[in-house]
Amino acid sequence: MTALHATSRLRASHRPGTEALRVLSASGQLGYGIPAASFERGMARWPHFVSANMGSINPGPYDLATGLMDAPGSSARRDLALVLAATLKAGVPPIIGSAATADAQSQLDRVTAPVREIAAELGHSLRLVTMASDILAEGVVQALAQGRLAAIGPMPDPTEDEILSFSHIVGQCGVETFQPTLKADPDVILVGRACDTAIFAALPALLGYPLGLALHMAKIIGCASLCCEPGGRDAMLTELTTDGFTPESRNPARQATSDSMAAQALYEQASPETVEEPGGTLHLQSARHEAVDQRRTHVSGACFAPRLRPTLKIKGATRLCARALLVAGVDDPGLIDVLDAVLQDVTVKVRSPIPGDWQLVPHVYGRGAAPRLAPAQQSAHEVGLVLEFIAPERELARTLAAVYKQNLLHHGYPARVTTAGNLAFALTPSVVDADMACRFVLHHIMADVPVDEFFKQSVHDLVNGSLS
Amino acid sequence: MFPSLARVCEPVALCELAQVVRSKNAGPTLLTLDVFFRDAAACTRAACSPALAPLAVPLLYEVPAGSVQRHLLPKLRAIKFTLSRAVCEASPGDVDLCGAQQHAPLLGLTL
Repeated sequence: MTALHATSRLRASHRPGTEALRVLSASGQLGYGIPAASFERGMARWPHFVSANMGSINPGPYDLATGLMDAPGSSARRDLALVLAATLKAGVPPIIGSAATADAQSQLDRVTAPVREIAAELGHSLRLVTMASDILAEGVVQALAQGRLAAIGPMPDPTEDEILSFSHIVGQCGVETFQPTLKADPDVILVGRACDTAIFAALPALLGYPLGLALHMAKIIGCASLCCEPGGRDAMLTELTTDGFTPESRNPARQATSDSMAAQALYEQASPETVEEPGGTLHLQSARHEAVDQRRTHVSGACFAPRLRPTLKIKGATRLCARALLVAGVDDPGLIDVLDAVLQDVTVKVRSPIPGDWQLVPHVYGRGAAPRLAPAQQSAHEVGLVLEFIAPERELARTLAAVYKQNLLHHGYPARVTTAGNLAFALTPSVVDADMACRFVLHHIMADVPVDEFFKQSVHDLVNGSLS
Repeated sequence: MFPSLARVCEPVALCELAQVVRSKNAGPTLLTLDVFFRDAAACTRAACSPALAPLAVPLLYEVPAGSVQRHLLPKLRAIKFTLSRAVCEASPGDVDLCGAQQHAPLLGLTL
């Protein structure tokens, strides 16, 4: 008889309605340094499985467009090692979703490689199941032609040619999409772009827990202890039963109150009472929050309404142009008073020696760069300049920033009293190469997608980290 | 004891009534603002204030009136606004990728 791997052991031994399922949310941002003490305190509660989210749209489209990872490789490896060592020792599966920020195959590879190295270092043999969430551009073109593509919020529909030119397109794996990976009996699961919820709810769903409760739990604990008062990044241990769930931060200073639980359901969420998932809608109107003690709240009541034909949220990003930055301070009230006009004048001046298809995007901190400030609140005494130069070529972007710097430094304006220079530089070089500007080009719902068989999974049986 | 009518009608800063004021991206094309109030009375007062009326918030954020949704959540003692972003997250011209500092205009409101 073949020995079972971690997921099958759990499926064989756990029945909903008997003991509670203990779910450890290791992190909502794996790769940026998991607080180790609270994670270890979570493992000490013998979780049935451990989940962590590794991706986000917060860093913007750069990673998806370039195939890179926002988290530094060394700290991602440190976090992966922490989670793998503990879960392999305990014999429970870790589920890591949205691998490496933006979650395309290139990012998944950036996580698969260290996982294999770590398994070898630990001397473990294991089954790793991965699922990439890349989507072929042709499939999106077809959806566009068939009217199955709808933007979420203000996002223009791309043309067919644009879709074919995009750097990367990924689909967001939901609970249904995870099922084949879990049924392949993994010890370790790595999935590309995933719904934040699915990473935590997919295994409870497979075990037979009510989907409404599992998804609501996932929504709350998906960012670990951010749902607590005060919020933080510590691991969260949740007991899930067939009638509700009770999360508890493994940092004793953080309290999961009924208010903080309810507030977390609104976080990053356009609608306060519904969460759209590929397979249907999570309804939170009937959710109840009852304090268990000072640090724990029992949550129940959410329900899930499946839709007839599943949908898939897709995301695409592309590279635009090269970018260089000029960073400087201005401390002369006379210049601050006329700064907008001066920046325009210098732009005109620089266009003469350096013509071409370039753009200056000025960010004037202290005058309402983010967000706008009423005139009375704007600084009249000191502002910070971050000037973005966007150009087709890197060399042109750097040249522009350098030439602009010298022209702004010595630009004359009425009422100027200094004759030495207009800018305070804190950095050398003052011109910073900022790689490239990118943008999201798809944030759409693709209707009518067979989400449970849409993505390809790979099963890697590793003996001491090497393929057997 | 009932609070005097004069006291109820005195202008009060939103920050006096609110416990949490936050903004965050909800996907790259939307921004969502959550205000959680200290108690039910504060929440009711805020919900009735012209400063947080469905037409006032779009003016405050300089976006078209139709692009803001207001959700009154008395059970949570909260009001939520969801707005379309003028510039998609991180496209050139965007100023706040995560949208996490867009609550600032609310902090100056008097209700």
